[in-house]
Amino acid sequence: MRRIWSPLLLVALLAVSASTTAAQSGRELRFYLPAEPKTFHPLVVADDSSETIRYLTGGVLIRFNRQTQELQPELAASWKVSEAGRKISFKLREGILFSDGMPFSAEDVAFTMRALMDPNLHSPTGDSFRSAEGQVKVNVTDPHSVVILFPAPVAGLERLFDQVAILSSRSPKKEMAVLGPFYVADYKAGSYVLLRQNPNYWKRDSTGQRLPYLDSIRLDIQQNRDMELLHFRRGEIHLINSLDAESFDRLAGEMPSAAHDAGPSLDSEQMWFNQVSSAPLPTYKKAWFRSQNFRRAISEAINREDICRVVFARHARPAVGPVSPANRFWFNQALHVHPFDPQKALRRLGQEGFHLDGKVLRDREGHSVEFSLITNAGNKSRERMATMIQQDLAQIGIRLNVVTLDFPSLIERISRTFDYETCLLGLVNVDLDPSAQMSVWLSSASSHQWNPNQKSPETPWEAELDLLMRAQASTTDNKKRKEYFDKVQQIVWDQVPFIYLIHKNALSAVSPSLANATPGVLRPQTYWNVEKIYFAPEKSGGRR
Amino acid sequence: MWIQRLLRHLLTLLLTALLGGLLGATLMRLAPGFGVDERELDTRLNEQSLQVLRQSRANERNILRFYAQYLRGIIHGDLGVSPSLGRPVAELFSERAPVTLRSVALGLLEGWLLGFALALPGVMWRGWAYDLLTSVVGGIVVCLPSAVLAMLFLYVGGPGSLPIALVVFPRIFRYSRNLLLQTYSLPHVLTAKAKGLHSTRILLWHVLPSAAPPLLALVGVSVSMAFGAAIPIEVICDSPGIGKLAWQAALGRDLPLLVNITIFVTLLTLTANSFSDLIGKAFAKQPT
Repeated sequence: MRRIWSPLLLVALLAVSASTTAAQSGRELRFYLPAEPKTFHPLVVADDSSETIRYLTGGVLIRFNRQTQELQPELAASWKVSEAGRKISFKLREGILFSDGMPFSAEDVAFTMRALMDPNLHSPTGDSFRSAEGQVKVNVTDPHSVVILFPAPVAGLERLFDQVAILSSRSPKKEMAVLGPFYVADYKAGSYVLLRQNPNYWKRDSTGQRLPYLDSIRLDIQQNRDMELLHFRRGEIHLINSLDAESFDRLAGEMPSAAHDAGPSLDSEQMWFNQVSSAPLPTYKKAWFRSQNFRRAISEAINREDICRVVFARHARPAVGPVSPANRFWFNQALHVHPFDPQKALRRLGQEGFHLDGKVLRDREGHSVEFSLITNAGNKSRERMATMIQQDLAQIGIRLNVVTLDFPSLIERISRTFDYETCLLGLVNVDLDPSAQMSVWLSSASSHQWNPNQKSPETPWEAELDLLMRAQASTTDNKKRKEYFDKVQQIVWDQVPFIYLIHKNALSAVSPSLANATPGVLRPQTYWNVEKIYFAPEKSGGRR
Repeated sequence: MWIQRLLRHLLTLLLTALLGGLLGATLMRLAPGFGVDERELDTRLNEQSLQVLRQSRANERNILRFYAQYLRGIIHGDLGVSPSLGRPVAELFSERAPVTLRSVALGLLEGWLLGFALALPGVMWRGWAYDLLTSVVGGIVVCLPSAVLAMLFLYVGGPGSLPIALVVFPRIFRYSRNLLLQTYSLPHVLTAKAKGLHSTRILLWHVLPSAAPPLLALVGVSVSMAFGAAIPIEVICDSPGIGKLAWQAALGRDLPLLVNITIFVTLLTLTANSFSDLIGKAFAKQPT
């Protein structure tokens, strides 16, 4: 009896397995790009849309797992960092082919690294590796081993390889020959990008089936966020990577299983005062903005909880500092949000000679405290935040004038003419490592927004920030780096060069018809595991 | 004589387009935020890369030098490279122009057909109810900005040319209705009516030839109107045409792209106007 049933059982199991495999394979995933990709060359990517294409098509040596926040081997079977972070040795996987059939070898890694580190390329990815002047040496020891030697230690070196898509050194298709799960099959400028499954992709699932499961991905270019939501609700697209709070709540009401709130993201919203000594501002205003008590008082006069509740419908968290709690390792747990306390803020201002004259706050010389806040036009939540800050500051007698500018005008003011008083902007964090923020905290850097390009640090605390940031970048001991960066966060909390307001939650939408899509807080939130995403088999009588 | 006039027209057209391009370039150069790149806020870039980025558009700062270089490029068939999109302008034009030309041509055709079709019955068979209805519809549509029409079509769905048609139609309707009314009251039309000629014959032989020159002049105006409407419509509908490109060029302070678009639209509008002007004059000389 058993003899009869065993083959039947085997056949049945095979049939079930085949049907599951068949169900997992195929179909086209659709979602929107917010703008046209500026390049398909993975080494010079600087915009979000090109970044999406690179993520979906590029093969990397090491991948940073967006869910576990751990590094995992990809094209590199193993790696070793030595010489205090100057040297990295890779052992590569064998038998891997590019999408056009060309074999992958250590020569391709060497070619990619040489191209990336070419000083004339001016690639943001390449610049991340440049910790000091000097040549990067790439040595191919055998067809599957490569050693890269940097002129100085690079903090968080392995993690940077998550952004380096390996190019083929020999393919006639150049950068269009890829090692990732998909390749660019078609592109109509201004309209769409079509990606097809890479027939030579090296990864397989636990059953031995070649990944990715999807046949293709169609990325239509759509700037209108309302249309994106409308098309998602109609089932015309399957993913929305980032939603605003209002759209999220609307979607959650209609399709609760499609709306995902993954909690606070890495991105922050912050405002800062112009502390540039040469700025075309009255001297008394410069004195206000350079006063620690003034900045701290403003921070304490802003009700962050209200901003989260009103502007972001509770899909945001008050911010403590530059690091979001989503960044599990680097977030300084000892710090807490500046409490909302207008009375305490007034007492602090009193220490600096500010006093209330009726309902108007005046400084020691009798100037009424009034300043303008610039932000980028068209960002609804930022404009609402500015209005709420305006109301909060009015409670302590400060008049805030909100000015919205288009982005080029705003950048010109904050980075060239310095003709502004306060600015409200967001910081998009794509990297968890503090080294990615070097140019923000070093006083000599141009992204040190409140007072950039200083020849030497103008304040003792900025000098300390410089020392700490350089110290954390010069060691590979993560425990020590964390100590240094905790101190940086502490100084920023005390001195308030940036008034950190909130961290928006990572809100996204995933069609219920997709399986294995688990949205997270790190970019790309919805398709970080794209090779494993598939269309779930339709249930009879159920909703698709 | 005829060739001389044509050449004079062409020369005027060319000079106006070049002047338009220079004016467009000057306005863009004086706009706040000119020469600024969003990538300057990328914290990954080092100082050297930032300097290169800032220097990359230094040759656009002197507008006269830029324009002279641009004209030299045109002579050699080079329209320049768009700094914001990082691609040759000629390539961008060849991809985008057909989209806009198609939707504008269709929109014009639909707008004219609709406008004329509504105006004609009202003039031939006068009735206050029809007049009121068409005037109210035309009045409502004329009040709607092209961006609102685009939004409407985006939500409802429909061809991209239809919002352009709706922008053009009320103007065509009103103007052609008034013009036809005036023409129907001309002495020779009244005489034809008194002689008992068939209404179709009156329309084709006596009314339309008289109304043709001003109607043809309206063609030129409607072309520029349609192009003007195409910009917000393409932006809102995410249609990859010249209108959207113009919007991107303005936001990105993209001088080479904007100058080319200005010259392209100026040339197109002037050509349409000149064409209708010449045809109108030719019609006017024919005895009716």
